[in-house]
Amino acid sequence: MATPPVELRNKRLLLDYQLPSQLGEIAKLAEAVEGVLPNRPDLAFTANLCLEELITNTINYGLSGAPDRVIRVRISLSDDWLEILLKDDAPPFDPFAEAPTPDLDLDIDERPIGGLGVHMVKSMMDAAHAYYDGSGNLIVLLKTLRS
Amino acid sequence: MHITDETLTDAQVVHVSGRLDSTTSPLLEQYLLSVVESHPRVIVDFTRLDYISSAGLRVLLMAAKKSRARSGAFALCALKPALREVFEISGFLSIIAVHPDAESARQAFSS
Repeated sequence: MATPPVELRNKRLLLDYQLPSQLGEIAKLAEAVEGVLPNRPDLAFTANLCLEELITNTINYGLSGAPDRVIRVRISLSDDWLEILLKDDAPPFDPFAEAPTPDLDLDIDERPIGGLGVHMVKSMMDAAHAYYDGSGNLIVLLKTLRS
Repeated sequence: MHITDETLTDAQVVHVSGRLDSTTSPLLEQYLLSVVESHPRVIVDFTRLDYISSAGLRVLLMAAKKSRARSGAFALCALKPALREVFEISGFLSIIAVHPDAESARQAFSS
């Protein structure tokens, strides 16, 4: 049986942010996210972690380090969900399809350095999807508000 | 992010505060790898660390591997709950020792 569609009831936009494509800008975004979620530091932490992982991917790989582009971040709250939208103007790239799943059972000598960012986003969010809309990649993340 | 280190009789404790992210983690990389090179027993104290991303985990794994290659001991302590979740999701709790505080990490080295 099909599961009912996610309903984003009473959705309101909390933050609409234009981030210059530089790693040093992410800390300012993090402060803005904390500022719009003052009563939910847990959600702000999760949102900031996922944003950093995806934005560093976009800057380093999607944009090959180009510092003069803009990544748009929108954060909304509905009755039951936190919604995060990320939009870049990089070539088509789906981090959720392309990043290999890390093997978390390897012992310390065998664990590779790195490769955890996308895994963390998938683990912390309830839904994570990427779309290419002709002008760039749109990433949509949803996280339940139930703690 | 702010880093200091403190010498105990049988371990070196590195205190890291603030945000450990893709911008600040290269500073910790340099600092921590150098501490691991000169001290056989290293404890990283996260009492005042508010945030860590995969860039920070990367540095900790590098340091843990380096310590192991030198037959040293390496441990973390005082993870806030949100940080602990990041370690859990990443499978780091089973590869790097995590203790409630620096004193229990130090005792675990000696036992």
